[in-house]
Amino acid sequence: MARTRKRPDSPAAELEMTPMIDVVFQLLIYFIVTTKPVDVITNLDVFRPAPDPNAPKDQKPPNLVRVGVFQDGYTVNDVRATPERLDEALAKVASIDAGQTIMITVSAVSDHGQLVEALNLCAKNGLKSLSVVSASN
Amino acid sequence: MKKQYTDAKLDMTPMIDVVFQLIIFFVVTAAMQSKAMESNVRMAMAPNGPVEEVKDPRTVTVDVIADGRIQIMKTTISEGQLLTILNNARKTSGQSTPVVIRGDLVTKHEAIKRVMDICGKAGLWKIRFAALKEKA
Repeated sequence: MARTRKRPDSPAAELEMTPMIDVVFQLLIYFIVTTKPVDVITNLDVFRPAPDPNAPKDQKPPNLVRVGVFQDGYTVNDVRATPERLDEALAKVASIDAGQTIMITVSAVSDHGQLVEALNLCAKNGLKSLSVVSASN
Repeated sequence: MKKQYTDAKLDMTPMIDVVFQLIIFFVVTAAMQSKAMESNVRMAMAPNGPVEEVKDPRTVTVDVIADGRIQIMKTTISEGQLLTILNNARKTSGQSTPVVIRGDLVTKHEAIKRVMDICGKAGLWKIRFAALKEKA
């Protein structure tokens, strides 16, 4: 039958691609230029207190939270702590006073990654006043 | 026979798709590489570290690689040379010149301390540790 053999009326309905590609390229270039790449590097501030030559050797400043960084873990006020425990302790300190000075004593043989982790936890809890002291052992 | 060839249209769509994929891939990787791969240091992760909004153009970046050697722009230098460099930095751009220390994950603190001591000796006090905010 003629009806069934009939072809569609507009078989060659070609879609003009060129303007679309032009527009898409414009958009792509616009987004590439305007997006700022995500900054993957962060900088952690450290403050190193200069030793006071007049201070007595065994003097302990009263109002300090002492964090120790060792090869195999951390201590908070001389009590051993896991990173989770250190995080909790720092959160507690920050909830009382975020301006509290944290004295971080780092063992010479500990990995740098350990110290960065401790600084990361301080930054997480909003503690800004950090002083990093290197222990001799 | 000839009629077949006159109709042969080249389908551009897959090629455009591929080219787009390549462009996006290169843009994204180039931006990340320039940041994270320009040194021999595998930095530690610090996802909570602050983002630096304004970069100080005076910043001196010192790398400390895993075995404790000091490098600037991938060139190994001695402690004496580092002191000279930092002294010059202080003379030309002042005491508040920031020093960024990029220490390797497994560098012993001893080596980092040496670099910090040299910074102190050169009169620079603004010391920072670089770390990765996210996996690059």
